[in-house]
Amino acid sequence: MVFFKKSISERKGRVAIASFAVVLAVTAITGLLGITVGIREKLGTELRAYGANIVVYTEAGAYLTEDFGARISAMSNVEEATSQLMANVVFENMSFESVGLDFQQIKGRGWRLSGNWPKEQGEILVGINLKSALKLEAGKRIKLVGQGNSGPGKEFLVAGFVEMGGNEDNAFILSLPDLWSITGLAPKVSAVLVRGMPGALDAVVANIKRDFKDVSVKTMRQVAVAEDLLLQKIQLLLALITIVVLFSASVSVASTMGATVLERRKEIGLMKAIGATKKEIGLFYKVEAVFIGLCGGIGGFIIGFAVIQAVSKGAFNSFVNIPFYIFGAAVSIGVAVSVFSSLIPVRGALKYNSAAILRGD
Amino acid sequence: MAFIKLDSASKIYETAQALRGVDLEVEQGQWLNIVGPSGSGKSTLLNVIGGLDSLSSGNVVIDGAEITGLSEDAMAVFRRERIGFVFQQAHLIPYLNAVENVMLSQYFHSMSDEDEAIEALKRVGLGHRLTHRPSQLSGGEQQRVCIARALINSPKLLLADEPTGNLDRENTRIILELLKKLHQEEHFTIILVTHDPFVSQWGQRIITMEDGKIKCDEFICYL
Ligand SMILES: Nc1ncnc2c1ncn2[C@@H]1O[C@H](COP(=O)(O)OP(=O)(O)OP(=O)(O)O)[C@@H](O)[C@H]1O
Ligand SMILES: [Mg+2]
Repeated sequence: MVFFKKSISERKGRVAIASFAVVLAVTAITGLLGITVGIREKLGTELRAYGANIVVYTEAGAYLTEDFGARISAMSNVEEATSQLMANVVFENMSFESVGLDFQQIKGRGWRLSGNWPKEQGEILVGINLKSALKLEAGKRIKLVGQGNSGPGKEFLVAGFVEMGGNEDNAFILSLPDLWSITGLAPKVSAVLVRGMPGALDAVVANIKRDFKDVSVKTMRQVAVAEDLLLQKIQLLLALITIVVLFSASVSVASTMGATVLERRKEIGLMKAIGATKKEIGLFYKVEAVFIGLCGGIGGFIIGFAVIQAVSKGAFNSFVNIPFYIFGAAVSIGVAVSVFSSLIPVRGALKYNSAAILRGD
Repeated sequence: MAFIKLDSASKIYETAQALRGVDLEVEQGQWLNIVGPSGSGKSTLLNVIGGLDSLSSGNVVIDGAEITGLSEDAMAVFRRERIGFVFQQAHLIPYLNAVENVMLSQYFHSMSDEDEAIEALKRVGLGHRLTHRPSQLSGGEQQRVCIARALINSPKLLLADEPTGNLDRENTRIILELLKKLHQEEHFTIILVTHDPFVSQWGQRIITMEDGKIKCDEFICYL
């Protein structure tokens, strides 16, 4: 409608100011929702990606040995146990993290793969973040050397790239024997990832602690809870910011609309005189408010999204998936704030008696 | 029954009594001019007839409909169906051009029709000013846009409050000729408030207001 369009473009400046206030509010809300949903998803991802719900490890620098895995998998209530070795490897004179594991055991556990799954020794996977950083491609042969090991290293075939949302995204992933062979660490492992029967996890943890001294055992929930506590603190802070920003955005929209309405008293009186009902006049302001809400909502979502990704990148070294409904929620809140805040001044304006306004001598 | 009928219409403001028991009947198709000193209640009378203002007591019937008790919105709907308004100041929406200003009135009435709006502007002699904004039009031209807007929905009643009050003689004559032509062709009822003896001679009847009452009521013949 040309009337609505011109009515808004006539007040570009005011609309922009009000939209900006909504942008701030929606940025905060997107941040809050996104961090809640997106980052919560990341909690415990690392264990989940291995299909495990218990992790067994020792203090940094120390190792378990491979037979731990076999012994744990023989325990009652244990479905599976896989060993994992973390070590640094050197590629083109740069040091990288690498993970040694059993490819067959983790296949199909929600690792996002591009390329092929390694079929035999000598084939490796590469974390997705290294793909572009090191200009690697599937099918390429690369040489890796164990860090701090005088061995000659070995050539590997890059089978594919994986994305998991954890440290693996920045690491080379080798089969355990391959990593042993270039690091000389055989038969040491860093951790054993255990899948216990749900419901019997406490018993499994107790058994492991009884049979093995000097190891740390944690259930996935414990890992998640630790991360969750931090998340809750961030959420609280964000919620406070959101409330403050929402409030000030409302005030800003209301006062902007109030000023607009004052400027437009004559216009309102005139529209009444030519037969517009209050509802029809109110529609002009609603369209404007919705427009402000949409602009602010979309802008705020984009900024909020960028902020979350930056936070996630910093904290988890990967991006988060933000479900589409958060976009919907953010924009809806933007529109709601804007429409709601403009209600009061517009209501007031519709009360003017048009005879008195148009008299205006 | 008269087209417009006021029965002891009174309007009291906090500070003044603008109408003191006005009785008035106007036939359909009549051109009535209202004159009288400043503050005598002319505008108030016109606004009450058009439903822009409500009565303190008494009642108004227009075209068989009692409008006295109507809500503001019901009055707005009544107005857009049957009444066109022209004011002393050309109240136009500043950011809409001439055609759009006319179309806005159509929009509230039923549906905007650009061709019809352009036709209406041509009839008031503004075929060459269609896309000008109000600020780019002279006072007389603005007032003619207002007339086109008032008549676009074919109202039965045209209410004009000093429509030529801000115009020079030449523009005043143009407006009056226009009203006369439209009145003769379309037979709508006109009530026009004016200070100007030159203007009040155009019409069929003059009532003189004084202190909120009708002091004198005479029939004339327009030029
Ligand atoms: N909204 C209002 N509030 C208070 N008093 C009002 C209001 N509108 C009009 N009046 C008073 O009512 C009386 C009649 O006013 P009205 O505007 O009808 O006079 P008028 O005949 O049109 O005068 P003019 O020729 O100057 O336009 C005046 O005394 C005026 O001060
Ligand atoms: Mg007046």
